Amino acid sequence: MWDCIVIGGGLAGLIAGIRAAERGKKILIISKGLSSLSYSSGAIDIGDVGQLERQTDHPYSLLRQSVVRAGMDYFQKLFPNYQGSWGSTEIMLTPLGTPKETTLVSKMQNAGPLNNADIIVLVAPEGLKDFFPDIIKDSLEKNYPKARIIIYPFKISAFDAWYTLGKPVTGMEYANYWNTPSGIAEFKKLLISIHRKIADCRKNFKEIKKAVVSPELSSSWSKPLQDILAETPFPFIELTAFPPSANGHNLYCALTKKFKSLGGELLLGSEVEFVQCRGKIAEKAIVKSKVSSSAFAARSFVLATGGILGGGIEVTPDSAQETVMGLPLFIPSKWTNAQFLSEQPYTHTGVEVDNQLRPLDSKKEIVLNNVRIAGRMLAHYDPWSNNCAGGVSLATGWFAGENI
Amino acid sequence: MTKYQVVIVGGGVTGAGILRDLSMRGISTLLLEQGDLAHGTSSRFHGLLHSGARYVVKDPESAVECIKENYILKKIANHCISDTRGWFVQTKVDPPEYIQQWLEGCRKTQIPVKEIPLAEALAKEPLMDKNVQRVFEVPDAAVDGFKLIWANVKSAKEYGGEYKTYHQVKKLILDNKRVAGVVVNNLLTGEELEIHCDMVINAAGGWAPYIAATAQIPLKVICDKGTLLAFNQRLCQRIINRLRPSDDGDILVPHETITILGTTSKIVDSPIENNPEEAEVKKLLEIGEDVIPTIKHCRIIRAFSGVRPLYQDAPLDSSEKKGRNVSRSFALIDHQLENGIDGFISIVGGKFTTYRLMAEKVSDMVAKKLGNTVPCRTASENLLPQFSKDIEKKAYQLLPNVPTEKMLQRLGGDAESLLKVIEKDPSKGQLLCECEMVTVAEVEKIAADDDTYNLADIRRKTRLGMGTCQGAFCAFRALPLLWKNKDKYDFLQELKTFLNQRWKGIRPVLWGEQLRETELTKAIYSSTLQIKE
Repeated sequence: MWDCIVIGGGLAGLIAGIRAAERGKKILIISKGLSSLSYSSGAIDIGDVGQLERQTDHPYSLLRQSVVRAGMDYFQKLFPNYQGSWGSTEIMLTPLGTPKETTLVSKMQNAGPLNNADIIVLVAPEGLKDFFPDIIKDSLEKNYPKARIIIYPFKISAFDAWYTLGKPVTGMEYANYWNTPSGIAEFKKLLISIHRKIADCRKNFKEIKKAVVSPELSSSWSKPLQDILAETPFPFIELTAFPPSANGHNLYCALTKKFKSLGGELLLGSEVEFVQCRGKIAEKAIVKSKVSSSAFAARSFVLATGGILGGGIEVTPDSAQETVMGLPLFIPSKWTNAQFLSEQPYTHTGVEVDNQLRPLDSKKEIVLNNVRIAGRMLAHYDPWSNNCAGGVSLATGWFAGENI
Repeated sequence: MTKYQVVIVGGGVTGAGILRDLSMRGISTLLLEQGDLAHGTSSRFHGLLHSGARYVVKDPESAVECIKENYILKKIANHCISDTRGWFVQTKVDPPEYIQQWLEGCRKTQIPVKEIPLAEALAKEPLMDKNVQRVFEVPDAAVDGFKLIWANVKSAKEYGGEYKTYHQVKKLILDNKRVAGVVVNNLLTGEELEIHCDMVINAAGGWAPYIAATAQIPLKVICDKGTLLAFNQRLCQRIINRLRPSDDGDILVPHETITILGTTSKIVDSPIENNPEEAEVKKLLEIGEDVIPTIKHCRIIRAFSGVRPLYQDAPLDSSEKKGRNVSRSFALIDHQLENGIDGFISIVGGKFTTYRLMAEKVSDMVAKKLGNTVPCRTASENLLPQFSKDIEKKAYQLLPNVPTEKMLQRLGGDAESLLKVIEKDPSKGQLLCECEMVTVAEVEKIAADDDTYNLADIRRKTRLGMGTCQGAFCAFRALPLLWKNKDKYDFLQELKTFLNQRWKGIRPVLWGEQLRETELTKAIYSSTLQIKE
């Protein structure tokens, strides 16, 4: 008998599992997929908490600021490499080199130091997919008018075959390479030649403030690279990546590693078909495989199945369903707005909950007493327009984990 | 002031066909199109090359024209056609008494029909409803409208024909009781030009009345909007028609990796009313279910609408299906005889399948008036892309099979310069659009073309953004190529416009996997890339 089964191993589910395991609970996470963290930059957007707390039915309004703060603090405790403080924003660079406001960002992705730079060297690895140095240079020139931007192209012999054949090298492949012994050695050499390059540019070399902007190395997650960078006399900032992102992927790996190190069990690649309930109590998660079913019993459950993208909500021409427990869903009457990039009402689809994150029906009565909903499954928020994707997952995940 | 013998207004399939025919007869011709070639009705239909079987009962004249042209086009443009053949199926809700009428109609119009035994039919089309009663095969085929129009225009150019896109004809120039030319607005520069000619051909489809009106000539064209759905897979291997009196949602046409289901019929006020409505989508799915019971679970990548321009000769039938009782046959109007205005001809109505015949009739009339006696050769001279064995061999060496075949069909001999680019820099042989398999080199070449003005033009010419992801990934990857032509493109604005154009077709079908894809696309553009409206 588990203390809690978390259905869905994304950011919200993993944070819930980690917090509960830390508190000595016996936790099983059953996850169909590998989360959507690899699609993200690895940074955490919390959003304008004051404003969102006042937005009707927004998850922040149900849990209130202190819980949102607790979620944020907890994440920073788990990952001390992340910078950012309550009530303020940090800047990171999009894959097009434009500035993006966020709340928590890894040290290596924090673009703050660029404000003081006189020279910015943009590192351009040969053949890197979805990386456009000319456009990035233009963006940097526009946003850092004080600085001179220099594109620094280079090749790595390990990828010679790729270059000859004209095959693109993905960001993940480069990031993985930098973390190998030969990659680390190449990286040291690269930094030295960049240093020399800047020296060639100016006479009063010692006075100029330089900085390097680079596509992902995922250095935040690599001790050897961190050590090298600690000794480098100029800031080195990583751009965020067009998906898939090495930083996002490594955040996911770090979360699963932490969860397991605390004694949590992670069942990956298994789908919970349905949850057996008795009255208002959820009892067993049924996982079907080709041959037979397995039943996993728990005292409580957390449903963190990722909403529309994660597969926790399935929409057909005629209806929308919550796929695991058949919970009632809030479905907005208007589905879309004409301008694609504006706020879209369909994003508000989800399970309505009380201030304990328990699922409610249309009469506002609790459907299941021992179930909490976390992350994207919750109704009444638009993560893109509200800039609160990570914040909601952290707040609700932490709260669920804290109360198991 | 510039002079041609003929000016054609309208760059749809009819206009393109006329440009080719006249150019082949040595008549100097300029085609003017207000948008991009084929951006109107010619790119918003099933893509069905009719056998004519659909019209044998109600419109046998049309049916005969169709079957003749069907054979001709298969001969001269077979790279634009997928000869899948088509079935007419009687489902359990279709009237069995229609079959005899229909078979008799096919016999009279000489359309070859063959009955397919039910067991064989069900084995060949596993998604088809098991309760289908009878199945008949006819020579229907699938046609790529863009390819065919570009092939016509390319051929016309070889014979000296010219065309200008984004040039909107504002009015006809009248000299006494003669049309002496047109006043045209270059929509990109704002410049206004006068072009003088001996004859103007009005092939402007739904816009034909506006052109004629500038010379006070009334031209009655009904705008009939039809909505269609594009599914993300081949639901069938051949065209499937309903064996019943023509109605909505009758036809399924497979094209490469997608299937188109259509269509509906609604009279609208103007040719620009082409927004697909959710009610139309739902209706098509209900009807489609009769043929493919699982159709509601199949992923739709987009809905789109085209406005059919139908010539209104007789007074409209008062029944609800107004648009369906007007003949699909075309009307060729010599305004000298009709309205006393010389030098002006309108060609209205008709269907894609018979474009070449329409163009021939127009060209015969024009040639006679201009005293040109060169006979029409459009039925015999083929439109196939011309490329040498050497180019073909080199192409298959440099690129994977399927993208190579598609590229050669699109570019023909022009592929040579592309291959040189890729040989020099192999990274340009990468696929920029992975869904439709279009190389970086091709998009780069098209983006730099003189007659490419925006991402939508690139899309029509290369198929970038027309696949499963609907531009989510390739639109981003096209950005550096747009950036290179900075004086032409504001790349960020192009991106937003493109995403909104794709969105227009996705909105009415936003569920299932398409909805998931949209969530991912929204996350990438709104959040990761921080692109705002």
